[in-house]
Amino acid sequence: MNTNTELNPVSVRLYGAFRQFGQESTLDVSLPLDARVADLRVGLAQHYAGNDSALALLQASAFATDQAVLDEHEALPQDQPISILPPVCGG
Amino acid sequence: MTTLHVQVSDAPLDPTAALEHCSAPGHGAAALFIGRVRDLNQGRQVRAVSYDLHAVLCRNVFKEICAEARGQWGESLHLWLTHRHGRLAVGEASVIAAASSPHRDESFKACRYLVEEMKHRAPIWKQEHYIDGDSDWVKGHALCSHG
Repeated sequence: MNTNTELNPVSVRLYGAFRQFGQESTLDVSLPLDARVADLRVGLAQHYAGNDSALALLQASAFATDQAVLDEHEALPQDQPISILPPVCGG
Repeated sequence: MTTLHVQVSDAPLDPTAALEHCSAPGHGAAALFIGRVRDLNQGRQVRAVSYDLHAVLCRNVFKEICAEARGQWGESLHLWLTHRHGRLAVGEASVIAAASSPHRDESFKACRYLVEEMKHRAPIWKQEHYIDGDSDWVKGHALCSHG
C-alpha cells in the first residue's frame, strides 16, 4: 500500500457478479492521491474482508476507465470514472 | 457512408439491418452470426438471461476488434457488431456480428473473429435465470494480468 497520507475518495462502478454483494452500483474507497491500481485492489479487499466469494472475484477482476483496461502498476487516473470488471462472458 | 457499425442496445437486434449494412457492389460475400439465448447450460434449464455491460468501454472494445479485423482481412470490410443489454428470454438474439468482403474467406474469418474476440474481451456479463427460480452469474474470461 502507498504511504502517502493525503486521502482521496475514489468511486468504483460495480458490474456483473459484484452486483450480488450489495444494492449499491458504486463503492467509494479512500486512497492516497498518488495511488496505483494495486492500491485500489487492496482497498476493495479491505471493504470485502470476510466475504470469500467477493474476495475471489476481486482477485480475478480488472480495473478500467471508459477508454481502456488499466495495468496493475499504473497510477489511478484522476477525474475519470473507474470500473471494476469481473471476468467477462458476452454472447 | 460509414462501413463500421458497433452498438449496445436495450432493443431487439435486427439481422436484416446487419446484412443491409454489410453490402457493397464490390462485395461478393457476407457472413452473419446470430447468438441466441439457449434453454440449457451446464445441465440446468434456463428461462432467461440478464446481460449487464459497460456501454462506453464496450463500444470502444468493439471498435478495436473491428480495426484488428480490418488489419488482418482488409480495410474494405464492412463490419457490424451489436450486443443486447437487459433481460432476454430463451431464443432472443443476444449478439449479431456480420462482415462483408469481395470474397467469402475474409467474411467468414472476420465475422468469427468479431464473435470470439467479443466473448473474451468485451465488458459484458450474464446472469442466468433458471426454471427453478434460482439465478447465477456465469463465470467468464478474466481481463486482468496481475499476479
